[in-house]
Amino acid sequence: MGETVVTKIDKEERRTVEVREKHSNFVERSEPKESNMRLILIDRTESLRANFYPLAYSRPIWELRCGITSLAEKLVARLGLSDVACFVPDYMAAVYRQKTAWVVNDLSKLSGDDLILLDGRVKAEGLDKAVKGPSEIVLDGEGNVLYARIDRASAAKLPCDSIEAFVSSAAATLTKSQRILATWNYTWDLVLANPGQITKDFAIMGHDGIEGTVEQPNAVRGNRSDVFVARGALVHPMVVIDAEQGPVYLDEGVQVHPFTRIEGPCYIGKKSILLGAKCREGNSIGPMCRIGGEVEESIVQGYSNKYHDGFLGHAYVGEWVNLGALTTNSDLKNDYTTVSVMLDGKKSIDTGSTKVGSLIGDHTKTSVGVFLNTGAFVGAMAILMATGKPLPKHIPSFAWFVEGVVTKGFGRASVYQTARMAMSRRGCQWTDADQALWDAVFELTAPARNEAVRRGRIAMAK
Amino acid sequence: MATIEERIKQVTARVLKIDPSEIRPEHSFAVDLGAESVQSIELVAMFEKEFGIEMEEDAALSVETVGGAVDFIRNVCKMQGVKTEG
Repeated sequence: MGETVVTKIDKEERRTVEVREKHSNFVERSEPKESNMRLILIDRTESLRANFYPLAYSRPIWELRCGITSLAEKLVARLGLSDVACFVPDYMAAVYRQKTAWVVNDLSKLSGDDLILLDGRVKAEGLDKAVKGPSEIVLDGEGNVLYARIDRASAAKLPCDSIEAFVSSAAATLTKSQRILATWNYTWDLVLANPGQITKDFAIMGHDGIEGTVEQPNAVRGNRSDVFVARGALVHPMVVIDAEQGPVYLDEGVQVHPFTRIEGPCYIGKKSILLGAKCREGNSIGPMCRIGGEVEESIVQGYSNKYHDGFLGHAYVGEWVNLGALTTNSDLKNDYTTVSVMLDGKKSIDTGSTKVGSLIGDHTKTSVGVFLNTGAFVGAMAILMATGKPLPKHIPSFAWFVEGVVTKGFGRASVYQTARMAMSRRGCQWTDADQALWDAVFELTAPARNEAVRRGRIAMAK
Repeated sequence: MATIEERIKQVTARVLKIDPSEIRPEHSFAVDLGAESVQSIELVAMFEKEFGIEMEEDAALSVETVGGAVDFIRNVCKMQGVKTEG
């Protein structure tokens, strides 16, 4: 019994250290920290969050990746603050607490210190190091609060019964700054900015050289100072690392199997494995992924598999996704016009870009041979079976796409069981909090899914 | 109007591409009628369409026989206020 308790505490301490490390990639290189200013990150408005679905169903926007690190890591490093609290949608608070060292949804953090309030969509590069000064607020064109500096005395006068009341009262009473802050507005903004952001992050992090093992023969093209192989990373023989057009960063424990070609800019996250992949430029692959086939200018959040051949381009893939062999997405239309995405299953949004691939939510699985259309939205917890032709551009969360139509399939219990199994294979645990989060997402996504299922029944009956 | 059993047999025959006259209440969808997992999903969707009902997937897919489907769907129709004959 005593031993079990010690083990549990030990695990908890390890997890906390890992989480702290996760949020401090940049902080260790920044200026000395202000001790009496607190950063409050906010991501609560569904109408704004919806532009980042399906990836944002299960995480705050600032946990999305762009370049080598998450948006949060960039924001914290830029502001130079170590005291961080955050406000996320209530349904994801319990799960997020398991993943972050920050205080989540705690109204007491709105008092007692000077505050920097920040919308998670704000681009870090538009911010300066946080310094004390008079209270001020920056709004976007729609009147949403993007940033506020609030001194302790002013904060004490604001209502603290909800974060929404606090923010709206701040917007009404504080001096408006004329500063314009750029924001990330859609998931594809991150994908399109990813190659350049990898290069910027590589320069900021300042790592280069071979700390891991690179077995010969191998070929490194370009400047060797644009390559970093972290400790514990293993590059097998017959691998080409091409850093001529941008840096290549292989993080700790990465394995690169023979006949892989990696073009920079590129970031491969901790313990991910490249299996003879044609890893084209501009990829950010999170931790614990298995990547094969051809991948170009894509972001994979982490813990996902694309083991086999098949093309993934200009895509953003969530966690715990499995793309079956030969699953391929289109990222360019035959007429070279700009790509539209249907985030809600009804209205198309013109991305303004000719290159946009798929947005694929957490825990989604595809069968062998699935073809995803240009700018496809594939919800979370979906099961896709091949039809021999491109699938519809919007597939709702928890949908089972079978025989060319959206069905309810074997239902939510079945996909939860699969999720539980997939996570345990990587040493992660599906918790009651996870289930509660996904139950909430199931309800949130029900209208689009129910409509698709209704249409599916009609199509199937014909 | 056809009975629930007749309608279930018609839908089953259409999805599984068999003669409705060969279907009996004691037949198992999987073992006797050869329904594969994907066809089970289709059957649930088609029963929902046929009767204008919503069925909970886990419960619906746990029904093994044609007769079981008749009882299950009769019950769902009753709970959801859907009128049926027979």
